[in-house]
Amino acid sequence: MLKSWKLKEIVLMSLFGVVFGIVYLLAIHLGNIWAAAIGPIAYEWMFGIWFIVSIISMHIIRKPGAAVLPETLAAIIEVMLGNAAGPRLILSGVIQGLGAEAAFALTGYKRFNLAIFMLAGAGSAVFSFVYGYFMSGYAALDPSFVALMFTLRVLSGMIIAGIGGKYLADSLLATGSLRGYAIARAKNGDVGA
Amino acid sequence: MQHLLHDMNPSVKFVLVTGSMLTLAFFFNPWTPAIFWLAIVFMQIFLSRMDWKLWCLMMLPFTLGSFGYLWTTLVFGAHDNSEVIWTVAGISVTEEQWQHALSLSFRVMALSTLSLMFAMTTDPVKFVMSLMQQLKLSPKLAYSVMVSYRFLPVLIDEFIQIQQAQRLRGVIVEKHWWQRLSNMRRLLLPMLAGAVRKAERAAFAMEARGFTGAPRTEFFHPVTVTRTDILMAVLFFMVLVGSCAGGILLSR
Repeated sequence: MLKSWKLKEIVLMSLFGVVFGIVYLLAIHLGNIWAAAIGPIAYEWMFGIWFIVSIISMHIIRKPGAAVLPETLAAIIEVMLGNAAGPRLILSGVIQGLGAEAAFALTGYKRFNLAIFMLAGAGSAVFSFVYGYFMSGYAALDPSFVALMFTLRVLSGMIIAGIGGKYLADSLLATGSLRGYAIARAKNGDVGA
Repeated sequence: MQHLLHDMNPSVKFVLVTGSMLTLAFFFNPWTPAIFWLAIVFMQIFLSRMDWKLWCLMMLPFTLGSFGYLWTTLVFGAHDNSEVIWTVAGISVTEEQWQHALSLSFRVMALSTLSLMFAMTTDPVKFVMSLMQQLKLSPKLAYSVMVSYRFLPVLIDEFIQIQQAQRLRGVIVEKHWWQRLSNMRRLLLPMLAGAVRKAERAAFAMEARGFTGAPRTEFFHPVTVTRTDILMAVLFFMVLVGSCAGGILLSR
């Protein structure tokens, strides 16, 4: 999978992992304060924050694996920073990343527009919900409550990760620092971008 | 004895911890996670040099979170036909709901303690090295992660610098907490732009020094699997089987 990747793309992806590892950690702390009062549903509306690096990195690099790898790396970095959620995070990182990756794989890594990014956000949400259903034992909860959680998470994935991620990557492109990556080449209409 | 958890091979520890977590997810009785949780706490007391002050501080949010789980499961729990044991403010709680609620809260405690054990007894650099040597993580990825990890202090400094520069120029106003959130974009963009430049420079430097990312068999810092790992794996397995069996027996 990494054969077609340039080293600078891999390092860029890992650095994004570090930056978003920090952002994710802050978000977890925010969420924990909430969760004590409101219970697990506190995380649902902000879940999209944790999917965002997949979208940004895929938008910029546009190669197979650009969604699942940075999400996994961000999780590994979070663990390296000494986050207490530890190995559980790595597993959920891989699963969330796979959700986004699945959406891009469906289009054959050819189309990159807002609809696909929102689909990828929703994909992450669905995958992570299935995993959460299993790990956190949502089976013990009332089905209508579970449905509410699911809807909130998918919406959050589509809006925060899908729209937010595209917006962030586009603003980054406007700064001019992304010359030499697929996103800039695609904008100039080069072949093979 | 107090060094065993620290001496374990990180990959072996990682696999054991993840395996135990996945196993725990199958149990809905309160005893299994409770026994497992206690066993892990005891393991930490006897087999590691834990900074307990930090441990308590890190566990605090998870303890609060487990209360969140407790009441959510009680209020929004799935309906069943078992006996109602008590009613508060119009919410009746059945025997089964109570069992599930306790189980989920103990599960949160067990999983967080287990994770904390991993996080506090594992050297991050050794962890990535071991992922590469035992679990065949691509060296290209492994060394990129190490490089990025080294950038962490630089990135934090940069974050503070950008924040202070923007404050100095009056770009950001931080009167309320929601303004702090909306300022994140202003802070994040320069950080990301800086990250892109750093990544490029680091990659050029790595290639200039002959790094190709080809798989290798010899390492400067070999991380090995030793007898300690086999011993600890057996111990983990016993704890896991013990708590599963104990939980099933006690909840009969």
